[in-house]
Amino acid sequence: MESKKVIKDLQELIEAKVISEETAEKIQAFYASKQKPKSNKLFLVLAILGALLIGLGIILIIAHNWDELTQATKTIIAFVPLLIGQFLAGYALFKKEDSSAWREASSAFLFCAVGASISLISQIYNIPGDVDTYLRTWMLLCFPLIYLMRSSITSLMYLAGITYYACEKGYWTFPVAEPYLYWLMLLLALPHYYLLIKNKPHSNFTIFHHWMVPLSLVICLGTIADKNAELLFVGYISLFGLLHLVGSLPFFADQKTRNNGYRIIGTLGTIILLLVLSFDWFWKDLAREEVGVVNIEGGISLLLILAAFALLYQKWQRETTAGIGPLDLVFLLFPVVFFIGMNDSITATILVNVTLLAIGLITIKRGADLDHLGVLNFGLLTITALAACRFFDTNISFVIRGMLFVLVGIGFFAANFWMLKRRKEDE
Amino acid sequence: MNSKTLTIIAFTVVCLVQLYVPLQMVRFQNTIIETGKEYKFRTAPIDPNDPFRGKYITLGFEDNTFRFQDTTTRWNYQEEVHVQLENDEEGFATIVDVTKEPPTKEVPYVRAMLGGATTFDGYTTLTINYPFNRYYMEETKAPDAEKAYAQSQWDSTQVAYALVSIKDGNAVLKDVLINDVPIKEWVGE
Repeated sequence: MESKKVIKDLQELIEAKVISEETAEKIQAFYASKQKPKSNKLFLVLAILGALLIGLGIILIIAHNWDELTQATKTIIAFVPLLIGQFLAGYALFKKEDSSAWREASSAFLFCAVGASISLISQIYNIPGDVDTYLRTWMLLCFPLIYLMRSSITSLMYLAGITYYACEKGYWTFPVAEPYLYWLMLLLALPHYYLLIKNKPHSNFTIFHHWMVPLSLVICLGTIADKNAELLFVGYISLFGLLHLVGSLPFFADQKTRNNGYRIIGTLGTIILLLVLSFDWFWKDLAREEVGVVNIEGGISLLLILAAFALLYQKWQRETTAGIGPLDLVFLLFPVVFFIGMNDSITATILVNVTLLAIGLITIKRGADLDHLGVLNFGLLTITALAACRFFDTNISFVIRGMLFVLVGIGFFAANFWMLKRRKEDE
Repeated sequence: MNSKTLTIIAFTVVCLVQLYVPLQMVRFQNTIIETGKEYKFRTAPIDPNDPFRGKYITLGFEDNTFRFQDTTTRWNYQEEVHVQLENDEEGFATIVDVTKEPPTKEVPYVRAMLGGATTFDGYTTLTINYPFNRYYMEETKAPDAEKAYAQSQWDSTQVAYALVSIKDGNAVLKDVLINDVPIKEWVGE
């Protein structure tokens, strides 16, 4: 929109001799070159959407299960979308190799078609089958498309599919089993993600991956829970710490905050989990239970701690102590709190509350130092959430709870007022 | 070999595998239908809390328990069991034995899941969940079929059963019939 306005004004600027005709041409050429990828992007989105809608539509039409057709006819028809998908993908690969719209759209269609064929055959032959077996077959049949077609939409759908598979097997089907295959399947998709980061660091597909990968990890870590599930709280805090540190890598420095899924998920995850653990019920339960340490949950937690520590060390070398925020350190502190909590629930509860309060206060100070209202208010929100959680603790008197709330409210006003005033004075 | 040839080969292999898997499913099911032995399983009313889900009817089976004298073996919920079958005087399938391992001698059997095990008075009773409990129908007919199926369970003049082909422990549900009439025709009438 802005470019149109500038181009419109060009003639006027030439007449007023503000710019030369040559400059005007250069400006026009600049906007023209800028606009080109935009229309391509729109075409790409529409092509993928169209392919997905047609693919899903065909599946629904066949799923009507036409009784007029014989079993053999139905079986043949079940293969039609698959064959069309393969033909389109082949055509895109060999004739339209340079068109990402063709490659992405045909891959998206083929991805749906593979799933449709398997499920339609199951329907025609009344095979009940488990959802997890179905998803596993579907995803394994489609993962090569990510690399052959260089298709990021396939990669995203594959990541969603394997996450669903892990949930189905690890959480929703009884008896639950650890879907170890998920981790292997995740590894299969990572080289494509790496290439995206390397070659197209600012593309929308890369940004979607920055959200999809950490989300999938957070959702699926719980599936490894066996007999010592409580230990996974250490695992989760470490995972959130790791994600937060990944989001602090120099690569993300020039990215918008909303594109940095790692940092957002890591930050919110840590705060929310600590808020849950700031209640005493978890620690009372933990103190009653026998939790072993040498087991799969312990092993994975240790691995996550080591990985997060490696990144923390790198960050410390890069930015020295000044760059290290409180959220970078929670994963180191929490295992200590956890082990204390195994015997002493009161100390652990207090420590978690103090940690949250410290995170809030340090964040407020950082916000003030950086003159950043967002950071300042995030710190205030953390403390508000902590206060709100204590609101539900029945063993704290109304007066104390009330005073806590009034104090936090005053804090909100005072901090924002002070900062805005300081800004005005600076101006 | 240049990269183009490699891509062609890889793409062809992927396409062939994508076709092979559903084709193999079809072939496997057809082998059971063509060469397996047919059994009729008398159906039972299904749990009314398990509503009609989508475009298939859910089947329950009358003869799905097996009682025997032994309480030493430990049975786990949802473990795979091998159910040996034979026909009763009326020509319906009945359970002869349930084992953890596949039978060594040539007897008709079907792989199933254990739905539960109770022990009482020196006897163990196993509940079997057969794998053929879904019958897919045209979506417009499925609700009527569900009603017809439910009615046949309460009406003693109607006999509903599932026709299942069995071979080497695998089963394919071929049809659901009420008074020997396929349920698709029953609903169409």
